[in-house]
Order: sequence, then C-alpha cells, then structure tokens
Amino acid sequence: MEGCPRNRETCPKLLDLIPQERKWYHDEGKNNTDQEKKLELRLAPPGGDEEDGSVMKKKNTKKEAEDKTIFNLSGNHFSPSNKTNYAPHHISQKRTAPGPVVGWPPVRSFRKNLASSSSSKLGNDQINKSGDGEKQAEPKREGMFVKINMDSVPIGRKVDLSAYGSYEQLSFAVDKLFRGLLAAQRDASGGEGEGKPIIGLLDGKGEFTLTYEDNEGDKMLVGDVPWQMFVSSVKRLRVIKSSEISSALRFGCSKEDKMRN
Amino acid sequence: MSEDDEDQSPPSDLRSQPPPCSPNKSRNCISSSSSSQTFPDHVLENVLENVLQFLDSRCDRNAASLVCKLWWKVEALTRSEVFIGNCYALSPARLTQRFKRVRSLLLKGKPRFADFNLMPPDWGANFAPWVSTMAKAYPWLEKVDLKRMFVTDDDLALLAESFPGFKELVLVCCEGFGTSGIAVVANKCRKLKVLDLIESEVTDDEVDWISCFPEDVTSLESLAFDCVEAPINFKALEGLVARSPLLRKLRLNRFVSLEEVHRLLLGAPQLTSLGTGSFSQTHQSEQEPDYAAAFRACKSVVCLSGFRELMPEYLPAILPVCANLTSLNFSYANISPDMFKPIIHNCHKLQVFWALDSICDEGLQAVAATCKELRELRIFPFDPREDSEGPVSELGLQAISEGCRKLESVLYFCQRMTNAALVAISQNCPELTVFRLCIMGRHRPDHVTGKAMDEGFGAIVKNCKKLTRLAVSGLLTDQAFRYMGEYGKLIRTLSVAFAGDSDMALRHVLEGCPKLQKLEIRDSPFGDVALRSGMHRYYNMRFVWMSACSLSMGCCKDVARAMPNLVVEVIGSDDDDENREYVETLYMYRSLDGPRKDAPQFVTIL
Repeated sequence: MEGCPRNRETCPKLLDLIPQERKWYHDEGKNNTDQEKKLELRLAPPGGDEEDGSVMKKKNTKKEAEDKTIFNLSGNHFSPSNKTNYAPHHISQKRTAPGPVVGWPPVRSFRKNLASSSSSKLGNDQINKSGDGEKQAEPKREGMFVKINMDSVPIGRKVDLSAYGSYEQLSFAVDKLFRGLLAAQRDASGGEGEGKPIIGLLDGKGEFTLTYEDNEGDKMLVGDVPWQMFVSSVKRLRVIKSSEISSALRFGCSKEDKMRN
Repeated sequence: MSEDDEDQSPPSDLRSQPPPCSPNKSRNCISSSSSSQTFPDHVLENVLENVLQFLDSRCDRNAASLVCKLWWKVEALTRSEVFIGNCYALSPARLTQRFKRVRSLLLKGKPRFADFNLMPPDWGANFAPWVSTMAKAYPWLEKVDLKRMFVTDDDLALLAESFPGFKELVLVCCEGFGTSGIAVVANKCRKLKVLDLIESEVTDDEVDWISCFPEDVTSLESLAFDCVEAPINFKALEGLVARSPLLRKLRLNRFVSLEEVHRLLLGAPQLTSLGTGSFSQTHQSEQEPDYAAAFRACKSVVCLSGFRELMPEYLPAILPVCANLTSLNFSYANISPDMFKPIIHNCHKLQVFWALDSICDEGLQAVAATCKELRELRIFPFDPREDSEGPVSELGLQAISEGCRKLESVLYFCQRMTNAALVAISQNCPELTVFRLCIMGRHRPDHVTGKAMDEGFGAIVKNCKKLTRLAVSGLLTDQAFRYMGEYGKLIRTLSVAFAGDSDMALRHVLEGCPKLQKLEIRDSPFGDVALRSGMHRYYNMRFVWMSACSLSMGCCKDVARAMPNLVVEVIGSDDDDENREYVETLYMYRSLDGPRKDAPQFVTIL
C-alpha cells in the first residue's frame, strides 16, 4: 500500500521517533532491550492483502507485529504509561502507518465492495476485488451491458458483452447495432436502405475503429489483450473514425470522470 | 433495517430455582386453616394467570417472577415470548423446562465483533440444539427471530416440519444455510406471514425457492430477501405477490431490475415497505415504463430501501413517494450531493435515514434543512479504508444536530472530526440514546486542534443523559474513559477500539457504569489489572469481549477460577509455546449451565 514504510531504509527515521511514541509496554528496563531487539528484525509486511482477511491472516499479522516495532507516526500527546502488569510481546498491531488491519474500519463485508462494484453510473459490471474473504460471493449478473457510441451517430447503444466470446463476435454485433443508424445519419432522405456493412473495426483497415475506455479511465484500442481480460476491464466502447485515432485518444471527454468526484 | 438493534430490557433472568415461597404473601394460605390449601392456591393461580398474561414487557415479567414461588410458576406458564440475549447463557433444556407455552423465541448468538472477521468461522452459536429441543417441547411455536446464529438447511427443514402453526421467521446476520433451506420453509410453513432474511449470508443452492411457496393464496405480510445473492424466478415472484393480498413489506434483492419492480408495484400498490432491488434498467426499450407513475400509485409506501445498483437517471422516479417516507435507506447507492438534494428536499417526514458518505457534508446539510423529524441517522463509508478520502466530516454531523433536534441514534463513519463539533452535537441533541462514531483513521486526533478526542466524547456522555449505547474512536486517552465512568450511568453497550493509555481507562468504565451489559474492546492497552477490577460486574453483564489487548492467560484463569458461573473463552490463542501466555481474544459471559460442549478446537474454555 502506498506510503507504508516497509523497507529497511526507513528504519533510521523511525528510530528517531521512538522516544516520542506511546509506550505500550510498561517495564522501562525491559522496554529498551525489547525495542531494540524488535527494531533489528525484519520489517515484513503484514498479511499483504488489501482487504481484511480471516483471522488466520490476523494470526500472521500478529506474529509479525512481534517482530516489528510500533510505527507510531501520529506521535503526539502521548505520555508513557506506568503499567506494571504483564506485557506480552506482541500487543495490538499498533501501527498508524497505513497498513490494513483486520476488521477495521468496522464495516460488514457486504458493504465493502461498493467501491469496486459501483456500476450505477456506468451501467456495467466490474469484477469484485476479492480478498474480502468468506462473506463475498461472486455476484451473478444477468448481462454485462456497456454503452457504445459511434462517431457521427448521436444516439448510443448498449451491448451485452457476456453474450460474446471473442472480438470477432463483438465486431459483428457492432455492425448490426450501428449499420442502420449510420446509414440513416448519412443519407437523410432515407434512400439506400441498409447501408454499408461496418467492417475492419479491429485491424485499422476499415473506415472505423473500435476503441474502449478501461476501468482506469484510459482510452484503448480494442484487440490487444485476451478477450476475458478485455471484458473485465472495459467500461464503455466507442467506435471512432480511423482517421481520427490520435485525436480521439487524446481528447476524449469522459462523463465518468466528471461524475466520479 | 436492523443492524444491531438495541434491546431495551435487561436480560431474561432464567434462574432454575424459583424464589423461596413466602407464605405470608399469600393471604389465602394463612386464612384457610381448615380447608385444603390447594383450593385457594388454585383460585389464586387462575387469577394470576389471567392477569399476568397481559404482561408483555420482559422487564415486567422478570420482576413478577421474583415475587414468590407462585408468581414464578404462573409467570412461567404465561410467558409466550422469550428473549435470550446470549445463546450460551443457558441450555435449550432449561428453556423448555421453565417455560411451557412459548410461541415466540428471540435468540442471539455470536458477539458483534464476529461480523468484522475478528473471530474464526465455526465458533459456534448453532441453532440446531435449540430447534431440536423446541420441536418436541413447543409444537405450537409461531415465531423465531435469530441474530448472528449458525443455521443449517437441516435446521430450517426441522423447523418447517415441526411447527404446523409457524408464522414468522426472521434471520438477521445469520449464516450456514442456503436457498434450499429457505425453499423448505416456504413450502411447508403454510401459515407463514413473515420471512425476513436480513444481512444474512445465504448460499446459492440454485433452487427456485420462490416457486416453492404454496399455490393458493398466502398469508404473507412481509418478505425480505435483499441479502440473497442469487437470481430469482421473477415470474414466480410476480405470481406470489399477486396471491398475497396481505403483503405489506417486500424487500427485493439486486437481481430484480427496475422494470421488474415496476411490474410488481403495479400489482401491489398496497405495499408499505419496499426494497427496490437493483434500481437499474437491464434492457433498452423504446417505450420506457413510467416508473414515477407506478410509485405515485403506491400511496402507502413509507419505507424505501434497495438501490443496489442504482442508475441515477431513474432516481427521480421515487419523488412521488418522498413526502410520505419515514424511512429511507440509500446505503448501497453511490449518490452525489447534486443527485441527492432534489430527492431529500421532499422528505419532510423522514425519521430514519441511512446513506453512504458520497452525499457529502453538503447532502447532510440538506437533510438537516428538511428532515426535522429525523430520529436515526447512519452514514456508511463508500470507500471503507483508513486512508480514503472521507467526503463527510464534522461539518455534516454538526449540521444534522442543528437541524434535527429529535435525533436519537447516530452511526457515523468519517475521516475528520473535532471536539468542538461533538460538544455542539451533545448540546443540540439531548435525546440521543445511541452514539456510534467511527473515525476511520486509527488514533486520529481532532483535525483542527490536534488534541485527543477526549473532550468531545466527554461532552457526549455528559450532556446526552439518555445515552445507552456508545462506540468511540479516534485518539483517546484515559481521560475520555474517566468521563465515561463519571457520566455514562445509563450506558449498556460500549465499543472501544484503539483507544486509551492504560488499565485505568477500563477501570473507570467498569467501576463507573453500573448498567454496562455488553463490552467489546479491541486493540487497546488494557491488561490484567483492568480485568480484575471488573470482577464485581461480570455476572451482571451479558458478555465481555477483549481482543488484541494486554491480557495474560494467568489472569484470565484466575478470573475463571474466582467466578465459576462465568464462561471464560480464550479464542485463537497460539499453539506455540512462547505465546502461550498471550491472550489473543477473551470472550466471557455468564452461564447457568456451565461451559458449552460444542466449542471448537481454537477455543479454550478456562
């Protein structure tokens, strides 16, 4: 996780902070040697997962807390406590460094995957970030609908990606969805009927090219990654004129970005 | 919506021995010397029975049962609703021996911290022994309400078969069962009025349980399955709703689309409570249904929830019902302030409001401006990580306190808080009984002054004289706990995490809060001295949970030895020798029937 001091290089800085830190452990004499002993040891990351895991993970974290010292970076207003009672080695993993702690914040698992599965504005599915452990089930969606827009066609469509297994199938679907609309746009008098088939979406050879916006907000060319990987990261599709490839990828305006914050 | 309801009465006093008989209290015993003593007793008993059957509150019933042996006996005969706050406080046999005519059971199992993965699975709280004992003893059982229990499909099947008059099943935060168990209940409980699955984990056995309801008209009044993560047969649901004329509460899961909700609403305008499912449209259609009209037709809807995969453009469809709403749950919907304000502006009668912090302080200010009747507020984090953005702060909560003076219950997740705001809140809202604040960054001080949050929480306990439930967070020293001990005289439930400096903190609480029933502490520096200081209290408490504190095994053993009716469980203590003294998790509770027999391997009962 970002900002989490894990490597040895940050050790010296933390040593400086130790005198100001809260002392959980009571016995001063015992403290110093214990502290130093702890500081010498490897600062291994805790469980490692982003989300809270099971208590088994907590056990591992606890063991490592034995080895680490307390990275109390908030260090203010603390006074050493005068406890004389028993001081086990590994008390609470009292780190205020941003490392994940089991069960904190105290939000139940089914409320946790909102950030990753927020599909409300985008109208499509996202893969849940797992790591939440037992309570999270893979939600079964009835379809994976993403918006698809085409240059020069004012009305967008929605396409169910779960209905297709390959880029070719998607390409055919796009043709089906937009052929009529495109023809209507181009020939307002409604002469020619069906219109030309939309081909060459994937190889750059056609009049149009298929692009998409992924879950990180980047505009990408369709076809580079394996199909499943594409499905898991796509947020919306856009059919652009092949001639405008460079400009579209630079200046695309994303409604999601506006709504996200 | 029932996340951690507060139970208002003290636990049921299920002592095995009735109080000793005091003949002086029964005048008839003394007066009749010649005639047999059974006659006047019998009359008195009948009279008592007729009178006591009107007693509903378990508080009153517990008091009545202590008057004398006769009253104890008659009360036991007339108690039809039993509340058991800790399923391990007694055995099922004791229940059935004392109370002979139970129709309704409310049973709670695991401690609340189990919800946050602080306890390994398979800890216990099995419903099985209860249902099998009751199957023989209470054939006329009508209602079972379980919270945090482990319920299997077999248990549900046994329940469905054993109680022909069964009417209400409510499972809150339960697990261990699936749609096949639900199907059996749906099918066999012909008089079922209520089937509420709330925040439970239900495995998808790929059973079409909706179709398992009987074909003819049902007595269903409430059906809630919003937590069931499995698609349902919508056609069957539509048919079920159509043949359930008494249905008032319907909470759909996220596999029900907006179009489908629309159809259901058209067929069931008499609903009072609606969980709207996904609230997203799955198919493009040329003629979009008039959702607003469907909502407008539902003149009785006062409670709205769901919005599991909200498509915000459809949110205005609920506007027609806003003016009637007393309860609104947006806690699954990532709604921005701009989307939110037009909606809340109409909700003048709102009393219960749950939402995500995505509505920001701005949204909360809008709530404060409109919802003058607000009693309960819960704001959940959209991004529940310690270092997340935090779109709400002390400003939002303070605004609420200024606008909603009748506020009674608060659950608030935020990243920033100040003492000044808490002081103001405590002064603005004297009716507060539940105050649960979670400042998500651990040990976070007042973000303006940099000081600990002691004064703020101190003001809360001091000024909110009706406070019964408190959850604290942020940077807290022993001083905060001193305040709690001094002023928190009505506090029954206390949640502490990453707080305090020393044993004194816990001592203040244990010595100063006479009504304390449920104490849950994690990751705080409280050790043996603190634990010992509370020994005079533990028999009067429902449970004590302490995890990742500074307790030693030796001390816990001492406590266990000194208090034989206290079950002292040490959970997840290490197997290696060097850690044997360290107590990872302590969970202790009183029990009338000794330690439980079903403890798993990782639980050591001292």
